Amino acid sequence: MTQTLTLAAAEWGGEFDGVLDDINALFDFPYLFSFEMFGEEWGINRTILIAWLMTLIVGVIFVMGTRNMQVVPGKFQSAIEMVVEFNRQIAMEIIGPKGLKFVPMLTTFFVAIFALNLAKITPFLMLPPTGRSAWPLFFAGIAWLIYVGVGIKEQGFIGYFKGVAFPSGVPWPLYIILTPIEIVSTLILRPFTLAVRLFANMAAGHILVVITLVTAWIFLPSALGWPIGVFAVVAGPLVFGFELFIIALQAYIFTMLTAVYIDSSMEAH
Amino acid sequence: MLLTTIHLAVADNGDEGLVLLPDLSELVMGLVAFLLLIAIMFKFVFPKLNETLAERGTQIQGKMEEADAKLAEAEAAKREYEASLDDARGEATQIIDEAKATAESLRADILAKAETEAAQIIERAQGEVATERQRVVQELRAQVGTMSVELASRIVERELDAATHEGLVDEYIQRLSNQN
Repeated sequence: MTQTLTLAAAEWGGEFDGVLDDINALFDFPYLFSFEMFGEEWGINRTILIAWLMTLIVGVIFVMGTRNMQVVPGKFQSAIEMVVEFNRQIAMEIIGPKGLKFVPMLTTFFVAIFALNLAKITPFLMLPPTGRSAWPLFFAGIAWLIYVGVGIKEQGFIGYFKGVAFPSGVPWPLYIILTPIEIVSTLILRPFTLAVRLFANMAAGHILVVITLVTAWIFLPSALGWPIGVFAVVAGPLVFGFELFIIALQAYIFTMLTAVYIDSSMEAH
Repeated sequence: MLLTTIHLAVADNGDEGLVLLPDLSELVMGLVAFLLLIAIMFKFVFPKLNETLAERGTQIQGKMEEADAKLAEAEAAKREYEASLDDARGEATQIIDEAKATAESLRADILAKAETEAAQIIERAQGEVATERQRVVQELRAQVGTMSVELASRIVERELDAATHEGLVDEYIQRLSNQN
């Protein structure tokens, strides 16, 4: 696709020297500085700085918003409470009253993922850290730790893994098929799909945004191809609106599914 | 890189494909940032938030109980007022009835008295009229007698003179008309 675009740009007279030749150039940024530790090269790159900035903003917003809590809330406090209330409803609807103790964790997941996703269409950042596999992987890893931990705590170590491997209410011969499926699905596929869903959506969205902007950039000045550039400019706001929708939706889906997995660990099935 | 990068194969061109495995620095640095955020949320944000929510819940509960109590109080007061209003209404009706009865009896009394009085007045008037009439008749009788005698004596005095007789009658009539 990138080559096709480059080719089209060249044919229609646009100036474009192969920025999109390697798709990783959109995601993998070089270290701004690096050092050796444990025999590995460590460094800080643009993506990490963006993640830190967005996380810092979220932290500051929440600390500022709850620093001077009033029983009768102001606008800022109301907005914070609305976000928490949203996650409270997820917990209440999916897990029930026992789920209320997970509201802080679910809220943290939601706001952190939303903020990192939002960097995708934030001017001057324009790169979602969640579009890099590292972030979705550790988010999913933490979600895995939580729901497995809840399962062990609620049902005991043996009880939980027995419940996972041997779902009740099934004739025993079916366990030959079901047990491997259940073990793989619950313990491996769940975190994997959580991570891949978020990662793939954000990576694809980032590519879409970049292509829209690059198309406008390349084709607008070209002699014959300028209508394509105009189309890209018109499509821009639509793409951004669509991406904003995806950003919120993916943050919600991740949080909701984490709640669903926690709920499934609360009691044997 | 610690982990070998694997590539998404993009068959028809020479691109390397999207790297799927995480960059170790990004993984650790991102995780550190997220864990810090969790720590901040759990240490600074949610304790205050929950405290306020609990306080709000308590206050709302208190207010609702207070409102319930006040409502019950108001309802009791309303019942009381309604009862006293009913009493007052009954009393008013009673008073009006009494007044009506009093007025009615008063009217009857006055009417009866007036009728009696009128009857008495009429009776008295009739008696007076009768007495007067009798007195006038007697008086007239006496006068007529006197006048007849007087007339007769005058007639006797001037019997012989026809002209005198005529003059006498004229004079008499004259006198009568003068008298009247």
